[in-house]
Amino acid sequence: MFSPSSFVSRRHGEGRSPLLLTAALVMALPGFLATACSSQLGTGTAPREATATAGGPAASAAAEQAPATGRRTSSTRALHLLSQAAQAAISMSYQGQEVVTRWSDGSGSVLVSDIWHVSGGQTVTQTTAAGSSLSSQPFLSSDDDSQAPEGVLGVTVPLIGLLETHYTVVYAGTGSADSRTAQVVEARREDGSLAARFWLDDATKLPLEREVFDSTSHVISQDVFIRVRFSTQAQAAVPVGGPSDPPGPWADPLSHAQLLALHTQGWLVPAGLPGGLSLFTGARTTTTTGTVLDLGYSDGLSVVSVFEQRGHLAAKLDGWQRTIVGGQVIYVAEPDQRSLTWSSRGMVYTVMADAPVQTVNAVVGVLPHDTPPGFWQRMSRGFVRLASWVNPFG
Amino acid sequence: MSHLGDRLSALVDGELDGAERDRAHAHLASCEQCRTEAAELRILKQKLSTLMTGAPAEAAMTKRLIAMTGPGGPMPSRRGATRVSRRPGTRGLRGARSAGRRRYLMLGTVSLVVGLGAAAFSAGGGGEAAPGPRITPPVEMYSVEHAITTGQVPFAPPAVSPAASSPVASASAASLP
Repeated sequence: MFSPSSFVSRRHGEGRSPLLLTAALVMALPGFLATACSSQLGTGTAPREATATAGGPAASAAAEQAPATGRRTSSTRALHLLSQAAQAAISMSYQGQEVVTRWSDGSGSVLVSDIWHVSGGQTVTQTTAAGSSLSSQPFLSSDDDSQAPEGVLGVTVPLIGLLETHYTVVYAGTGSADSRTAQVVEARREDGSLAARFWLDDATKLPLEREVFDSTSHVISQDVFIRVRFSTQAQAAVPVGGPSDPPGPWADPLSHAQLLALHTQGWLVPAGLPGGLSLFTGARTTTTTGTVLDLGYSDGLSVVSVFEQRGHLAAKLDGWQRTIVGGQVIYVAEPDQRSLTWSSRGMVYTVMADAPVQTVNAVVGVLPHDTPPGFWQRMSRGFVRLASWVNPFG
Repeated sequence: MSHLGDRLSALVDGELDGAERDRAHAHLASCEQCRTEAAELRILKQKLSTLMTGAPAEAAMTKRLIAMTGPGGPMPSRRGATRVSRRPGTRGLRGARSAGRRRYLMLGTVSLVVGLGAAAFSAGGGGEAAPGPRITPPVEMYSVEHAITTGQVPFAPPAVSPAASSPVASASAASLP
């Protein structure tokens, strides 16, 4: 993981005057009262605004919450809970249904997937379109070593590390999700605004729900794990004959040294991207058209994958639509609209993002794009081409 | 009765002397045929005279027009224009023809340059034709890798990756009301 440590040092390095602490406590008192009187945390699917304090936390949780405007340190208990959740996603055997809902620019989309995971083994997912009966073929995870299982609401060991680096993680008490008692953990920004909220199963610590908020406190994504069953029941319910071979022989994640070596070989490997995204993983595979490099960037909540491949975009791109982002002509995949691609200077860039639109646009803006040639450059290139056309020996 | 014959044209041209002319006039008075021929000859002579008197005026006008289109076209050089106007004879006409040829040569050259420039500008568009494969990004493969990175469920849009040919679970994102 390659994450800057400036956030951590800044959080721990600032002193506080008694006057400031008194003022902060006075300001936080109404928040504590509201917290004590509020109802239990809900699990609805409609977008809603975040509140400064989580609803329904226990009194012990309130004692761990810092004032909304003065959060500086993450809660040890909260970090421990998230670590347990990441381990539970690997070590537990479970099955259930994950409902992923995303909102962007006033419109939303929902994705429903059935998930089976065997302890220490692979994960099987079968996705249906918006919960309809049009089920697709199951997908067998290529995660042979169980280090990055899918279908755990984005709670993985690397992302938790980034979450701790970029946000203040606090324990927010108990709640309920999928009719199960859950421990609630929140991630807050430097200004104290709510960035994400996690519901972790009280008994197993498996993630049951996650909500992500934008800077204006609106929900931009909600992942819910429902109908969860544990232990050997999950193993017995894996669909027979369904799982397919894992696609794409992606190599194991590249080390920092390997990524730096790629940089010297002409690949673009920025250490960070706009939105506070840090490079935390990279992988490589070989296709029929050449080597593909995958670079993963995240702040613990938003994740952007940048795929690079030497070459040029095909003249005709089926399933892609031409659009303009930040003044640059790119192509967006239909219908999910979350995959963007373009080519520049002999390299094809494809960006897949689970991030706010503003972050995605900023990422596209900082990556290379071809600028239209000047008049003389275009004329020169044209004369060369004309000469090559009439050259009988060319 | 014998007719005037060749003497008729001599009469019309005024080439007969007194006795000959009197006898010819006496014959015309009594001969309808010779009178008609004499009238036709006079009309023909008048038309030819008209043509002969109009030709020099048109030739002069042609020379003046050629002189106006001297070397340099719309902005003739002082030297060339002076020579043509001062010497409207054979040498002036030759110079005007040479200037016309230069003008056409210049027009041809300009047309060639403009045409080549337009063709080069058109051919120079469309980006660099650098070597390398033409790629259609494999969305489904990227989606799976991205899902592993995010710790989320892998899926790919069905429009890009038909489920029948893909090992990846295909899904679509349905719009919410």
